Formats: sequence, structure tokens, C-alpha cells
Amino acid sequence: LFDPAALAAALDLFLHWQTFLWLIIGVFVGTGVGAIPGLTASTGIAVMLPVAFFLPVAPALGLIIGVYKGAIYGGSISAVSFGVPGTPGAAATVYDGYKLTQKGQGRKGLEMALYASITGDTLSDIFTIFVAPMVAVVALAFGPTEKVWLLMLGMVLIGALTGKHLLLGLMSAIIGVFLASIGRDPMAGVTRMTFGQWWLMDGIHLIPLVIGIFAMPVILLEAAKLLGERRAAGTGEQEKRKSVWKTGPGLSFQEFWRTRKELGIGTVIGSFIGMLPGLGSTPAAFLSYALAKHLSPYKKIGTGVLEGVAAPESGNNATCGPTLIPLLAFGIPGSPAAALIGGALMLHGATPGPRMFVYYPDVIYALFMILLVANIVNLGIGRIFARVYATLAQFPKPVLIPLILMLAIIGAYAARANPYDIVIMLFLGILGFGMIVVDMPTAPLVIAFILTPMVEENLRRALIMNPGNPGKALFGSPLAIGLILAMVVLVFFTVQFLKKVEE
Amino acid sequence: MAMQSFRQRLQTKQGIGIVIALLSGGVLVYLFLTPWALRKLSDGFYLGFFNMLSIGLLLLMGLGLAADKHRKEVPEELKTLTLRGFLGVLGLAAGCLLYFEVMRRIGFLVITPIFLFIAFFALKLGHWWRCVVLAVVVTVIVYLLFSVVGLELPHGFLSVELPI
Repeated sequence: LFDPAALAAALDLFLHWQTFLWLIIGVFVGTGVGAIPGLTASTGIAVMLPVAFFLPVAPALGLIIGVYKGAIYGGSISAVSFGVPGTPGAAATVYDGYKLTQKGQGRKGLEMALYASITGDTLSDIFTIFVAPMVAVVALAFGPTEKVWLLMLGMVLIGALTGKHLLLGLMSAIIGVFLASIGRDPMAGVTRMTFGQWWLMDGIHLIPLVIGIFAMPVILLEAAKLLGERRAAGTGEQEKRKSVWKTGPGLSFQEFWRTRKELGIGTVIGSFIGMLPGLGSTPAAFLSYALAKHLSPYKKIGTGVLEGVAAPESGNNATCGPTLIPLLAFGIPGSPAAALIGGALMLHGATPGPRMFVYYPDVIYALFMILLVANIVNLGIGRIFARVYATLAQFPKPVLIPLILMLAIIGAYAARANPYDIVIMLFLGILGFGMIVVDMPTAPLVIAFILTPMVEENLRRALIMNPGNPGKALFGSPLAIGLILAMVVLVFFTVQFLKKVEE
Repeated sequence: MAMQSFRQRLQTKQGIGIVIALLSGGVLVYLFLTPWALRKLSDGFYLGFFNMLSIGLLLLMGLGLAADKHRKEVPEELKTLTLRGFLGVLGLAAGCLLYFEVMRRIGFLVITPIFLFIAFFALKLGHWWRCVVLAVVVTVIVYLLFSVVGLELPHGFLSVELPI
């Protein structure tokens, strides 16, 4: 489980000025992305992924993890300052955070959000560092049959639990499977589903797909809203929200310590939900908030108290580390951000999964170091620039939309200098736009796209190992049957549980 | 009136499910007509297995959505999407493609301020001079940032080295 030589190699990777520089840039950009309502962590990572393609592995991870952690925290800035969550994960912070601002305690609210985010994030990262290698040891015992069902379990859970409608989530995952099966098949190298187009023979590359599905639709939707309006952008709904964030007194240590119970609730719930594929930061924040409110009725959570900020903010940030556990241990990305971190690792030749602990332990250790140091950077940037980010939350959409469009085009092209990647990215952008418009979540598509080649490879290995006996290849081990049952039971109970939380 | 009713029906989850089912059905027929989909590989695996499986499941789920208990619901974003907005999105996507094609030929620094100016103006940022200034400033900043990172942007005719 512990390799001192790998640790030394990881330190060599990590202790490089480029890693720190890109980590700082990542947190800086991510916090801004999170603070701007409408943009999510996935949008930010998608736009930055092409840059990560050109960086060595540690700076690339620093950039992506920095954007991710920064964005999850950044969502609280506009939630507390204006009552508009910057990201869906910060929606539960609005209840008490904005009321604090209305009471003239906006600074306290912002500082509480920052410290709660950092506390939840750091503790859950430590949990991840201890748990991920242990789970990976178990995963190493899995054969191709078990891997097929494990990957299917991840895919179905993500499809079923992301979004508001079970069927729409599953449809999104199936579209991902279809897109992944375009191009050469992974075993024989024979082309399929290319519609006679030579430029589809190598399949769809991850970068245009990620930009097309995560960045373009959000921007196209905002553009559709702006273009659909008849009045000028500076009036009506686009009218600038007046900041009600007053300077006021800062947060004292006693006030922070008073919220330790809520911080604990958020950290535990966030860590647990983060480990489960498909749920993510939004249910973690709402569940932490609801539980904190239920367990401490005398604290009057919901009336504008610090505890009402501490619980959801520690809850949503506590998902950041544990979302990497299924990725590192099984190769299953538990969230869009984990999928993109997995994508960044794959772009650098390190396929996430239990074997990564064997073949690339230095990269894993460097990743753990980056996870921890990103919290310190997040704390510094949040402490110094929160006020600036609160202003950035009012960034005019007519400037933002063309800017991100331009970055998306350059990013999709820069990765491979293939002009057809732009065509694919725009096509997927319109597809993603259509998906958002009909309430279909986009995350399962990307995750299924990443998982499908692994499913196919393991399925075909299982078939080769059991020639002429597909039944044995698919259901030939008790563990495989257990995983199939787990898939059914987990989906059923989690859907029921989420319905209750929603109520 | 009938047209209006058809449009309203199309916006419901039932309508969306039917459209998805029809599209999937079309792709499934196409798959069956191709010579490769049912080709058996040396390991006994059908080449089009995943394509047919995914499209088949999509067809079934489309039908499932059409018959679902929430079938009468209209998604929130679809309610607010106007035809003008939708056409604008298609226009923007086409504009992006045109921008990229022109950028490859004449270079990033020449076409980007024009693209940004048109986009800022179309999105009603404000006075034209404000759009011009912002378009130029943003282009220069992005170019400098990408140069620092080491990502080469298309030079176009500006790549010609001047004899100094």
C-alpha cells in the first residue's frame, strides 16, 4: 500500500514551480467560474482541458483539480452575496447565506463559506488518501466478467441518479455508449458507425466531446435566452443586481468553532455521497443542510445563521476528494469532474483504475499532494479575492458568451490540430443544448463515453476466456451476480432515498 | 390552431419520447442495412453489437418516456425557448464554424476581433464603439495568454516573416 520510492518520485513531480503555478491559475479561474451563475465546475474544466493536454502530468492535474475545487467553493460567493447560487451545489447555501448578507453580515457569511469549504474539503481528502488504496486492493482481484458488471453498475447508477428523470438520465448514458462505439473497435481495429466519413475512423476524441457537451450547451443556452429577448441586454432581467454585501465584522474563531457540529455533519455526508457515483455536490449540500437543521432545531438554521452556511458548504466541498475514490479504485468516474480528471490522466497515458496504483504510484501520490495543497491555495485566493469575485458574479453575459465560444473553438482545435474536431464539437454542442432543453442531464453521456471502451474490452476478454459460452462469460462468478443484484438494489433504494430528500 | 396544438404536444415529454424513438428507429434501420453491423469478428463478437444495443435501448426508452406518468410535463427550458432564440443558437454555431474556417486561412489576430465584435453587437452589449474596443482588447489578451502557455494559434498570412 505504501511505496517510499514512489513517494520520492511523486515529490519530484509535485515540487516543481509549474505545478504550483498551474494550481494557483486553476483555483483562480475555478473560483471565478463558480462565482458566475450559469457556469459550473464542468464548464470550467472543459474549457481548461486542452491546456492540460499540453502540460506535464502534475501541472495538468494541478490545473484541473484547482479549477474543480475553486469552482465548488466559488458557487457560494454569489449565493451569499446576491442570493443566486453560482453553481447548483451552492443552492442550499442561499437560505442562510443571503439572509446573513441582508442582515449586514455578508463578510461573515462569505468567510464562513470559505472556512467550511476548506475544512470539509481537507478532511475528506485525507479520508480519500486512506480509503482509495484499500478499495483498489479489493478491485485488483476482479476479473474481466466482474469488471464488466462493475463498470455497468457505475454507468447505470450515474445514468439513473443524475438529473430529475430516471429515463432521461439513462438515455443520456446510452447516447454516450453510442458515441463511444463510433470508430475502430478496441480489439480488432475494424471501423464501424463512421457514416462513410474517413475522419470518424479514429472515433470521437475526448476533448471536443467534453467541450461540446459541457461548455458549448451552457453558452448556447445563455445565448438563446439573450437572443430571445427583444429588449437590450442591459435592461430588464439583465439589470445588474446591486451588491448588498456590506463589509461588516469578520468571522471570529469562536463563531467558527461553534459550527463544528455542522461542519462534521457536512464532512461525513459529503464524503459518503462523494464516493457514490452519480450523486455529486448538490444532494450532498442539501442533505447536510437538512440533517443539520433536523439535529439542531435550537440553532434556528434557515433564519440566517452561520451554521446554515457551514453545513451545506462543508457538504458540497467534501465531495471533491471522495469522488476520486471510484475513479482511482475501479476506473469509474463518480462525477463529471472526476470524469474530466480521469480524462486528463488518460491524455497523459495513465488510465485510472486499480492498476494505476501498481504502474503509476508516483502519479497517484502526486495527485494526493495536489488535492491537499489545492485547499491551501483555495483558502489564500478565497481570503484575498472574495470581494473581487463577488463583483465578477455580475460579469455581463454578452461578453462572457463570445469569450467562452472563442476559447471552446481554440481549445477543441489546439489539442490535435484537427479541423474536424471543431465540426464534432459544434455538433455535440447542439446535441448537448438539445439535451439541456429537454431536461436530459449531460454528465452520464460523458461518463458512459469514457467507460464504454473499458466495458467492451473486458466483455470481449471474458468471451475469449469462455469460448462458446457467453452465459458463463457474463454470469460465471458469484461476484458478478452479486454486482448485478447490487446494481438493481442500489438504484432502487437510492431513487427512493432521493425522493424522500427532495420532499 | 391545429399547428399550435401539435407544437404544444411536441414540447411535452411524450412528444420528446416519440421524436427520440423515431430517430432511434431510423438509425436502427440504417444499421441493419449496413454490411458491417452483423459482421462476426474472429472472437465471435458482432461488430455492431454496441451500436445496435445502444440504439435499441434508446428506442425502448423513447417509447417508455412517451408512456411515462410524467408524459404531459413540459421541460422548463423548453417552455422558455423561443423560435428566435433557437434559430439564434443555430446561427451562432454556424458562425463559429465560419469563424474557425476563416481563422485557419487569414489568422487568429485578424478574424477574432471581427467575430467578437459581431457577437458582442448581436448579443446587445451596447454601443458599437464599446464592442469594437472590447473585441480588440480581448483578442490581444487571449493571444498573449496563449503565447505564454505555448499554444500556437493560427497565424494565417501574419505568419510571413518580415525582412528586418
